[in-house]
Amino acid sequence: MHAIDRERTRWFLRNILPHEPALRSWLARRQPIGLDVDDIIQESYAILADLDGIDGIRNPRAYLFQVARSVITRHVRRARVVSIHTVEDLGELDMADDRPSPEQVSIDRDELGRLAQAIGAMPAKTQQAFMLRRVDGLSQREIAARMAISENTVEKHISRGLRFLIDWFGHGGKALAKASREREMESSAFDDRARNQSIH
Amino acid sequence: MTIERETSRSIDEQAADWIARLDRGLSEAESQALNDWLAGDPRRRGAMLRANALGMLSESARALGPQFDPKQFAVPEPAPQPRTRRVTRRSMLAMIGTGGAIAASVVALGISLPAAAITTGLGEVRLVTLEDGSTMMLNTQTSVKVHYGARERSVELLYGEAFFTVLADPSRPFFVELPGKRVRATRGTFRVRKLDGKPVDILADQGGLALVAASAPALLQLPQGSRLVFPSESPIAQLPTPQPIAPDLVSRELVWREGKIAFEGEALIDAAAEFARYSKVRIEIRDPSLAREPVAGLFAASDPIGFSRAVASLFGARIEQSGNTVVLSRNQGRPQI
Repeated sequence: MHAIDRERTRWFLRNILPHEPALRSWLARRQPIGLDVDDIIQESYAILADLDGIDGIRNPRAYLFQVARSVITRHVRRARVVSIHTVEDLGELDMADDRPSPEQVSIDRDELGRLAQAIGAMPAKTQQAFMLRRVDGLSQREIAARMAISENTVEKHISRGLRFLIDWFGHGGKALAKASREREMESSAFDDRARNQSIH
Repeated sequence: MTIERETSRSIDEQAADWIARLDRGLSEAESQALNDWLAGDPRRRGAMLRANALGMLSESARALGPQFDPKQFAVPEPAPQPRTRRVTRRSMLAMIGTGGAIAASVVALGISLPAAAITTGLGEVRLVTLEDGSTMMLNTQTSVKVHYGARERSVELLYGEAFFTVLADPSRPFFVELPGKRVRATRGTFRVRKLDGKPVDILADQGGLALVAASAPALLQLPQGSRLVFPSESPIAQLPTPQPIAPDLVSRELVWREGKIAFEGEALIDAAAEFARYSKVRIEIRDPSLAREPVAGLFAASDPIGFSRAVASLFGARIEQSGNTVVLSRNQGRPQI
């Protein structure tokens, strides 16, 4: 299980996440019947999290697309996941050129600016908590004291801030305002559910 | 028993909750609960990987600096995203500092502007975007001068440590200037360190590099994932072969970009010297045997006192602080933390 392994995460952040918007639009074009694009993306990432090693992956973008394709096929035909080596041999995905793809370039170039935008788009309290944590480096406990709110609420703001980033970077910074408003409504409903559940 | 399939969104929300909890530290019961959660629907592991990656990304918000004003970045809606990229105030200043806007027109004429130095203060980490979109992350106490011309892009590293992300431009190779030598990059990422009284340290992260002599035709190739450490004055012909460097060591070498310092068995005295690069606080070690003790772990570069406390408790050392000096000594009596 590598989902929270720091090395794997860093590799993912640098080599996979920049391609999510491209993967998303590719999947949307293929419109796999009965499958949800977000489900496929999460399942693809799970496969990347579960890989024993990533050293063999020379072209992460091509590998990601191949994994996503295998997820679709697995659902459709219950096929097995392709190995790293199979992918390397696939002439069809001839992206051996290691030039950064346009997405990769733009994330390097714009990453900090986009992070700033995503933070700028957060609701006020979430933004304040998130900045105190990430820009000023205060602990959640210190933030609770500073903002005169409970630590539990601080944790909720940090979580919500992260969800903003998931939307923002997953969709290439587009369509965020709308998505985040929807998500905001949903997540407050979710909070209510969670609260109700935790009472029992 | 049938279990209703979770929505991907609900999984994302739970993953974000877990990252927020990890951020404040998990209790033992929570660690177990996290393991159980991850062992369920495989999509959870994918969502967790992504949420954790974005948590890691958000650590670079530190580079936005205390003057960061999110209001400047509020996105107008429903208007489409502006095509020009927004820059942080700091990188904007940096670009003004190097004549960014002016340079663009001057470059067309093939004239280089005299460059002003960009310098970071003690403990400061700054991301500078260059006019072509390449970036450099400057570590504490670093000074560079940018010279962008029609035929080449060049950054002079006066002192300190910088991490470069170079975008390809076949008509203008990218150079980092060192005394008597130049590091040439086509594209990719690499780190160059030049500290007073220490050898020069070059790490080729993604993409290879070439070290060329400023005046002679000597050349040394650094393949991707290799490191070269050499005395600043050595001629290229006498340099050792670059050594391959393991990916985890690369991350450790570059962890300063997240405001951290990593140790893996370094002597305490060296660790103390490393902290001195980032703050005014000086850690003094009174006993030679204590000074040689190996330390390991990941620490906040801005918190030498927290580091000293951790070390004191680990080695049963005594800690005394007066002003900007922290003294660690072997404990004669009971530990004082």
